[in-house]
Amino acid sequence: MSPFPVDRRTLLGAGALAFAVPLTGAAAQFRGDGVFWSPNTSSYPTAVDLKANYQFFTSDEAAFVEAAALRMIPADPTGPSALEAGVPLFLDRQLAGDYGKGTRLYMRGPFGKGTDTQGYQAKWPPAGFHRAAIKAIGDHLGQGGGAPFHKRAEADQDAFLKDLSGGKVDLGSDVDGKAYFKLLLQNVMEGYFSDPIYGGNRNLAAWKMIGFSGARYDQRPYVLAYNKPYPLPPVGIGGRPAWTAKG
Amino acid sequence: MSPARRALPLVGLVGLAAILVARPLPSGAQPPPGATVTPGALQTAPATPEDPQVAQGRYLAVVGDCEGCHDRPGGTPYAGGLPLRTPFGTIYSANLTQDRETGIGAWTADDFWNAMHKGVRRDGAKLYPAFPYPYFTHITRAESDALYAYFRTIAPVSYRPPANKLPFPLNLRFMVGFWNALYFKVDDHPSTGPSPGRHIVEGLGHCGACHTPKTFLGGDKNDHALEGGQLDNWAAPAINSDVRRGLGSWSSAEIAEYLKTGRNARANASASMADVVRYSTSLMNDADLAAIGDDLRGRPSHAGPVNTSLKPDPKLMARGEAIYVDECATCHAVDGKAQPGLFPPLPGAGVTQSTDPTTVIRFILSGTQTVATNARPTPFAMPSFGWKLTDDEVAAVATYVRNSWGNVAPAVGPSEVGKLRGKVGKPIQKPSARV
Repeated sequence: MSPFPVDRRTLLGAGALAFAVPLTGAAAQFRGDGVFWSPNTSSYPTAVDLKANYQFFTSDEAAFVEAAALRMIPADPTGPSALEAGVPLFLDRQLAGDYGKGTRLYMRGPFGKGTDTQGYQAKWPPAGFHRAAIKAIGDHLGQGGGAPFHKRAEADQDAFLKDLSGGKVDLGSDVDGKAYFKLLLQNVMEGYFSDPIYGGNRNLAAWKMIGFSGARYDQRPYVLAYNKPYPLPPVGIGGRPAWTAKG
Repeated sequence: MSPARRALPLVGLVGLAAILVARPLPSGAQPPPGATVTPGALQTAPATPEDPQVAQGRYLAVVGDCEGCHDRPGGTPYAGGLPLRTPFGTIYSANLTQDRETGIGAWTADDFWNAMHKGVRRDGAKLYPAFPYPYFTHITRAESDALYAYFRTIAPVSYRPPANKLPFPLNLRFMVGFWNALYFKVDDHPSTGPSPGRHIVEGLGHCGACHTPKTFLGGDKNDHALEGGQLDNWAAPAINSDVRRGLGSWSSAEIAEYLKTGRNARANASASMADVVRYSTSLMNDADLAAIGDDLRGRPSHAGPVNTSLKPDPKLMARGEAIYVDECATCHAVDGKAQPGLFPPLPGAGVTQSTDPTTVIRFILSGTQTVATNARPTPFAMPSFGWKLTDDEVAAVATYVRNSWGNVAPAVGPSEVGKLRGKVGKPIQKPSARV
């Protein structure tokens, strides 16, 4: 039996009738009384505890990611390094969560090499790709007793990353080195510019650097204030120091 | 609602609406399953011309907001069972349907009059003043009889509300006699004139049940009528001529618009007032609403002037401003003027400047939703900020909105916020290291 007590014929007939009768009575039936709302309910992000340990990375993996991120975004006069901004912690939580697990990706084969315009093609979700690629890089650099990436000189590290990005490092048949470099750079930038509530962009430094005002929604008072500096400092989802400043 | 019903295509919903239009429901009947029937729909479009006395009673039941209390979520209108949380315990509203065992089917018009006029049940026991007979005593016998005639048309529903949860000795009904001696006076000469607005406000409308401050025994402080009260962790604002805290700056037309549509350019009805608008004032006629506006605007305030020389700590205000600009200005705008008619302006608002900050704090902590009416069908909502703002931060921003743009009101302390959070809010979800 149908779970609904009106059969199809009645329903269609009534639907036709609805267009035939004045809709004033029906309009009242579409009032938003049933719009869901309940107090104390918010869809808020899970905040990263900056003092907690890595959840995803092993110590070897963390050593590689920290060193590589530091070469991608070193400290300079415009802003802090990726390490100072907390990028590895962001990456760790990103890979431990839904992003890392690829919950929104189609992850059944076949897995081909793909073209540049075809997006993510790895056979692992992002967390698995990082894990496999970091291991492959370790194996590659360790051949013949070579030092691991994080123990090498900066120039050496830069040269390796450059080769990796140019597709010149052979990491075996499983791991596409160029694709991994692209993913790592992407994730490092995400951590550097993300909201601080996720562990990166510590002290809102990256947003201060580029003059981004952060999680604000109403810029109308400033839109027409031509040639005047924008007055508001950046704010994260979790706030900014002025909220708690006692002095 | 079952997934199958949720998945109904739009044509199905339109079809059901058409069925509802084509076949008006007899009064008191249940809508077909799956249909959305707005409150008030049961009060309209009777199948046959109605007895004028029943029609009057139907309207008076709206004025008295009977359904607001005598219905429970998921229940049948007028079958009762809604828990009313008083400071003294929980009282469940009675079944007003015509069931002879559990409702008032066996009551005579005299029985009904005695309940309304004297607060006495058919069996002679005293009703608890959660039933607002101290107000209803002002209705006339003709009005009582009309209400009685209307309730005679409500189909019987066999439902016995749960037993009241009152501590000894309040669970003994004769104790109400002592309360009545202190706070209740039977109106020996009820009359609809000379002010129809006052007749509603002090009678069936029972506005003071929420808006008049109470003694420690829950009786009205009549020398402070309509100056704002507190119940169930809400502060009902003043609704008198007080310019800052009340309706002194509203016109009668604005009051009527608010009551009819749930909104005007100054305020949105939400929380407990949403139910009042939904079941009662939005369904009242314009003349009565204007009369209520006239009466409220004329009510004096004895709360004393606001001390405008009190200035909150500038550091607290600076923190409050930072939070306001970052979070609240999204809808309420940097200058507080918001989007009148959509989001309520804060400058000059009575709720904002209420001496008792409970409602301001609660809106920030828990959020709120405005009522949907036929005139304003979209229910806007303010989100909850309790998950991200500490008690300190809520206190700072509440103090800021209460003392900016010309507003003046006592500063809010973090302990007030913490207490309210413990009762009606949720713990903070703030990250350990935020920025």
